[in-house]
Amino acid sequence: MTALGGVARGPAISIAGLVAGALVWQLIGAHTQASSFATFTATCSALWAMTKSGELPRALESSLELFAIGLAFAIVIGFFGGLLLARIRVLRIGLEPYILMLYATPMFALIPLLLSLFGFELRAKVIVVALFGVWPILINTTEGARSVNADLLEVAESYRSNERQLWRHVIIPYTLPYAMTGVRQGIARSLVGMLASEYLLAATGLGNLILTYTNRFDTAHVLAAVLVITLLATILMGIGRGIENYFARWKAGV
Amino acid sequence: MSAVPQEIALPRTFALSPRLERMLIRVATGVVLLVLWELLVRWLAPAFVARPVTVARALPHVLANHVPPGTPTFWGSAEATVIAAFEGLAIGVIAGVLVGLTMGRLRIADRLLRFYVNAFFAMPIIAMVPVMTLWFGFSSSVRLAIVSLGAFLPICLNVYDGTRSLPTNFVEVAQSYRARWWNVWFGIALPASLPYVLAGFRLAVGRVLVGATVAEYIVSLKGLGYYIVYDGRTFHQPDMMVAVLFLALLGVAINAAADLATRRLLPWYRRSG
Amino acid sequence: MSIQIDHAAKEFGALRVFQDIELEIGEREIVSVVGPSGCGKTTLLRCIDGLVPLTEGEIRVDGKKVVGPPQGVAVVFQHFGLFPWKTVYENVAYGLRLAKAPKQRIADAVPRYIEMVGLDGFEKAYPYQLSGGMQQRTGLARALAIDPHVLLMDEPFAAIDAQTREILQFELLRIWESRPMAMVFVTHSIEEAVLMGDRVVVLRGRPSSIHEVIETGLPRPRTRDVFSSPRFSEVREQVWGLLMHEAEQAERELQEVR
Repeated sequence: MTALGGVARGPAISIAGLVAGALVWQLIGAHTQASSFATFTATCSALWAMTKSGELPRALESSLELFAIGLAFAIVIGFFGGLLLARIRVLRIGLEPYILMLYATPMFALIPLLLSLFGFELRAKVIVVALFGVWPILINTTEGARSVNADLLEVAESYRSNERQLWRHVIIPYTLPYAMTGVRQGIARSLVGMLASEYLLAATGLGNLILTYTNRFDTAHVLAAVLVITLLATILMGIGRGIENYFARWKAGV
Repeated sequence: MSAVPQEIALPRTFALSPRLERMLIRVATGVVLLVLWELLVRWLAPAFVARPVTVARALPHVLANHVPPGTPTFWGSAEATVIAAFEGLAIGVIAGVLVGLTMGRLRIADRLLRFYVNAFFAMPIIAMVPVMTLWFGFSSSVRLAIVSLGAFLPICLNVYDGTRSLPTNFVEVAQSYRARWWNVWFGIALPASLPYVLAGFRLAVGRVLVGATVAEYIVSLKGLGYYIVYDGRTFHQPDMMVAVLFLALLGVAINAAADLATRRLLPWYRRSG
Repeated sequence: MSIQIDHAAKEFGALRVFQDIELEIGEREIVSVVGPSGCGKTTLLRCIDGLVPLTEGEIRVDGKKVVGPPQGVAVVFQHFGLFPWKTVYENVAYGLRLAKAPKQRIADAVPRYIEMVGLDGFEKAYPYQLSGGMQQRTGLARALAIDPHVLLMDEPFAAIDAQTREILQFELLRIWESRPMAMVFVTHSIEEAVLMGDRVVVLRGRPSSIHEVIETGLPRPRTRDVFSSPRFSEVREQVWGLLMHEAEQAERELQEVR
């Protein structure tokens, strides 16, 4: 086998795997009813139709808006809350078990409560998305801010650093990689929150697409929507990993 | 100077053992939170919104399953969800370990499956719930499929990571003793990847619980997800909150059990924290 | 006198690390402090900088009692203590930024000190990209950038390979020659202590105290020739003898316990 053949072999197998997957999809679809499992080609044309009609772009925009606002809140509250918890010992010790409990609880269970407090609309859904995503950010930030190398703190002290300078030059830069790991996890959770809120509260966006077309037994459109969500999620997770790696690049030596 | 000089410590007039002190602070914080919850809801929220006093009052009849006929009972729902959760975890862990090992040791399996595993891992699995009702009908198979998938993906990925990062020294030693492939897979790769399984397990628990509750809601299955939404919609929030608390404790308990298992079964493994 | 150590003693709980330390260090001299592991020489250094409080006694820098890191004193750490997220330039500028120095001064001083330690061209590098020797040069530049008149060296070359260490020793001497200041050089290497210092303070005992202060009497500027000078060997043997006695004593005590 030539060298080029060797290099091309790996990706070639991956592509072969993808093609095989599409083929299997097509075959299953061809042997079941459209109301159970649409073929790959039917899904693609449904995807195309939704895009052309503007239905998909609108749904995407709505969902992304919800996701972005909710995640933004989760990041801000998670990051600064984490720093606060690292700073104030009593607060951290006191709240720690409850935060860990909330981290392990499916936030879905809180949606009816939130519904009764904040309604159906965007405001409530943003809160849901934020609640889904905030816990890993909060926990990781606190852990990071607390684990600053004692040696580095000593260096700062020897240069007569005041507290504000300590945060700015030492603690926050040290914490950022940890926070970004939390953000990556938060992205995944907030995506679930986005869909869950679209299922349980006012149906909009991609969740609405899925629900509506499921009710119409239109698997082609449903699978197309799932495909879009998967693609969106993969991209967002990729971005999340990228951000995480970027902020951790100086950690090579630590 | 303490190692973390930026912390504020509240002044104490007497010294306590650190453990006792921590417990006191936590209990005190819990009390403060409950009081806040009670007062804020009482003053600012509609009457039917749950608050600690009403939840406490609801506890006896909820735990005794005293509910109007035709409405879901707490213990029946809890049992259904817990069983489904453990089923999903079991299937997910076994399948995840096997597939993860395979992907980690066989380049071809890796190349073929990696894309799919990553895509499904990134995707919120609850996107699949509605379409599964078209495949499996409105049955508990939907929930089983979702929780199994939810547990499978993080475990598989973690075991894959762990197997891939297996130090080659270990394998070399085995090979020098003429180990067969199953020795390497199950005697070396599997134990070496157990810490990664545990890391994935936490994620799996979270995904299983979300998956179960969402599936129960959408499929109207007996379970805590359905119970919570039902009671929420019929303005029985205190009853609902009992289930929410149960779910919270369930998540914590499973994670605690996993941590304990880690320490017992893997004393050689030090979590770098 | 730049530094005055007056009846200093330090305890950690029940453990008395050192006691009865009396020492004065002049404005333009290098004093080496050498002693066995655990004798508290590193702790003493931290007490001089006010990072660790004394249990007894007092330390004065420039006549003022030390209660926290005094102005004009800089430390070079064994672990380098560079901030991994800052470039070489930013690390060197750190002390000046904390002191709220004007931008112009920083822009003038930092490149100069980076060049002084031989790291020009590496301004934008991160610590993880640098060797140990280069990291310590950065640490040194950072300390020098604030124009200290006291430099405290905490076994600065202990974590560096032997060849680089020797290069750095002479670099440090060269830099000191160009701007002499009070320097306390803590080390566990007898050779290094004699090479660097005008005087060598030998700590000994449990708890440790100053057993002897030896004038090295070696000419400055120091070059590699000093290694072959008879005086160097003489001082080295003297210090070695003092410390060896202590080590043998400790060994004997251990054997008696057995």
